[in-house]
Amino acid sequence: MKNFLKNRDFILFSIIIFGVIIVGFANPYFVKPSSLSDVLTDTSILIILALSQMIVILIRAIDLSVASNLALSGMLISLLSTVYPELPVVFFIVLSCIIGTFLGVLNGVSIAILKVPFIVTTLGTLSIYRGLIYFVSDGKQVYSHEFSENFLALIHYKFLSLSFLFWVAILVFIVMYILLNHTRFGRNLYSLGGNPDAAKYIGINENKYIILAYAISGFFAGLCGYLWVARYSVASTQIAIGFELTVISACVVGGISVMGGVGTVVGCTLGALLIGLIRNALPAVDISQFWQLAISGAIILIAIIINTKTEQRKDKTIMVE
Amino acid sequence: MVVCLFMKLELKKISKFFPGIKALQNVDFNLKQNSIHALLGENGAGKSTLVKILCGVYQPDEGSIFLDQQKHIISDPTSSLQLGISAIHQESVMFDELSVMENIFIGNHIVKKNRLVDWFAMEKKTKELLSNLEADIQPDEKIKDLSIAQRHIVQISRSLVHDADIVIMDEPTAALSQKEIEELYSIIRNLKKQNKSIIFISHKLDEVLEICDEFTVLRDGEVINADLISNTNKDQLITNMAGREISQIFPKKQVTIEQEILNVKNLYKKTQFKNINFNLRKKEILGFYGLVGSGRTEVMKTIFGINKFDEGELTFKNSKLKIKSPKDAIQNGIVYLSEERQNLGMTGLMSVKDNINMAIMDKNSKYLILDKLKDLQNASELQEKLNIKVSYWSQLAHSLSGGNQQKTVIAKWLSTKPEIIILDEPTKGIDVRSKSAVHEFMGELVDSGMSIIMISSELPEILGMCDRVVVMYKGLIKNILDVSKTSSEEIVGLASGE
Repeated sequence: MKNFLKNRDFILFSIIIFGVIIVGFANPYFVKPSSLSDVLTDTSILIILALSQMIVILIRAIDLSVASNLALSGMLISLLSTVYPELPVVFFIVLSCIIGTFLGVLNGVSIAILKVPFIVTTLGTLSIYRGLIYFVSDGKQVYSHEFSENFLALIHYKFLSLSFLFWVAILVFIVMYILLNHTRFGRNLYSLGGNPDAAKYIGINENKYIILAYAISGFFAGLCGYLWVARYSVASTQIAIGFELTVISACVVGGISVMGGVGTVVGCTLGALLIGLIRNALPAVDISQFWQLAISGAIILIAIIINTKTEQRKDKTIMVE
Repeated sequence: MVVCLFMKLELKKISKFFPGIKALQNVDFNLKQNSIHALLGENGAGKSTLVKILCGVYQPDEGSIFLDQQKHIISDPTSSLQLGISAIHQESVMFDELSVMENIFIGNHIVKKNRLVDWFAMEKKTKELLSNLEADIQPDEKIKDLSIAQRHIVQISRSLVHDADIVIMDEPTAALSQKEIEELYSIIRNLKKQNKSIIFISHKLDEVLEICDEFTVLRDGEVINADLISNTNKDQLITNMAGREISQIFPKKQVTIEQEILNVKNLYKKTQFKNINFNLRKKEILGFYGLVGSGRTEVMKTIFGINKFDEGELTFKNSKLKIKSPKDAIQNGIVYLSEERQNLGMTGLMSVKDNINMAIMDKNSKYLILDKLKDLQNASELQEKLNIKVSYWSQLAHSLSGGNQQKTVIAKWLSTKPEIIILDEPTKGIDVRSKSAVHEFMGELVDSGMSIIMISSELPEILGMCDRVVVMYKGLIKNILDVSKTSSEEIVGLASGE
């Protein structure tokens, strides 16, 4: 079965390569290194958020508030940067992460301690965090010329002709890979999602893990808050609206089971890359914008059908034949 | 070998009560070091409650636990593990999607100095453990790909890693082949040599006599007998387990049983059951007895159309019966009351009235509109007949007591005017008075012309209520007995695979 899972990642990888080649035939410009590098840059935030969402999905929950969290953290640091333009960019990044983590912990506490179901909690905070942006910004935008040079310094930095954004995604990938595969914390997340009752028997504190998972999800939403506003040089009430659904789709396409306990960091990353590829490739091959949403949706459904087909659980054996 | 007589674990006067039930009462249990101790009793005798107390899942209401002569409170599963108690459960407490080595080390991963998980060391240790147990399992295999015997070995390895002194095994041989059982025995004897104490739960008395040193028999939550295995024999153990008196009153009405109404022929479903042949006659109460997990519920769910069968034939009133879904069964007059009353029998957040009318909504509506008057008539008629205690009609079903919930579910099915009612553990977890009300009502039902199939794990109930009893063991029917011509010993024996 382990081979099969490896295969699943391999299949996904092949589909991505195959997709790039096909699109390349239709539009040779798309496969130029600079365009591919743009696709990677464009997908970086999705990769980061999918990996952090994966942690939450692993324990049989979901975080719908990530996009609102991202937008709120982004708006708060943007407003701050217009008032204190001289502050160093690291300050803004750290602050954005702290705000995001705080918002994530609120989710976790509501679910673990107050026992509000995760779907209700994060649906609620989705609106609350989004609503707070109107409150702090008076509904106004922060435009590109209002950001300080400091604030935007890092985002245009390139190394080996890959963007800063993509390097951050690679770093997050490595951190997540180690966290989920090589720490007790990560392995316990898998056991908690795989069999919550059994996890209790081995002494795993469910509440602690719920809060930590949401804190991590919030942390990366905060990080992406900075990345998003810096990249597009705009902070508004509308940024990243609906993006949580793209993130969840990336996880599902990447083979993260919504039943919990199943999924790999590599698979999740590939899922995000595939979604990113589709979003970038469809316009490149002149498929009407009207079709794009429907095609993305169909691909997600196919991924889910494949997942459920391979996940069917067996009857308990009573009779030995 | 020198047997050490030092008490490893002592339970003194342990009692545990659940609403309306005494699960354990003044239970004393003494476990010696390097000894294999059999814990015996019928379903519901209190064995699993005792195990759950040792595992820290339940807290005893009275009594105390001594480990190595020191008093301990086992407040949760973690402290149970820390005290060196490890259980191999019947139900899966493993992680299907994770590898063998991870299941062995779960919650206890080996870490390097930098706090990262040391997969290499874990794999090495796993190989070592598995080769000591002479098991042919690879450390990176997933649990879901293992056989049941292999899973047991993984669980045993887990308790060895935790360095448990006390290993509880809950029916470890239930689903194993003879060869696997022999292998397990040698592992168990090995554990004993390593100074471990083992609590061995089994329904197979031959194996208990073969492998165990001591035994304790529980019955209705009380210790009936505790001694050395060498001082007892099989007959005595069976009498100890089954020989309770029929203390409840079973108001069985005398009715004349009429012609055959249902005939089940050669029913077969892969990995579940085989050669299921029996018939049911009008006005008869047919019991189904067997251990939990012997396939009784699976057969009934298949007849009711929830599960599909692979081969076989059902005949209902002399014509072939085709059942593809529960709807077909209900239309033919066959209904099934699930053992999981709260999950599958009723909708807790709906009113009692709506629950009663749930299955006949199409009959009670005209042009797609529900006739509320008919609803109320039907509900009040049945409420009166069954004596369901409701304070008001819109009372939510989940706020009723267990007995009244069960009556509500029965009322729901009676609304459909069935001819055959299948009752799966109808009196499980309800108090004695409601129990006898359910029994009395069963008598009235057969008197009015219905037939009943009753799955029950309580022998007195089977003996008190049924005309015939079908005994199942591991997906097979061992025998069909006339209740007036059999004994509890014979039934218990058959159900244990004798």
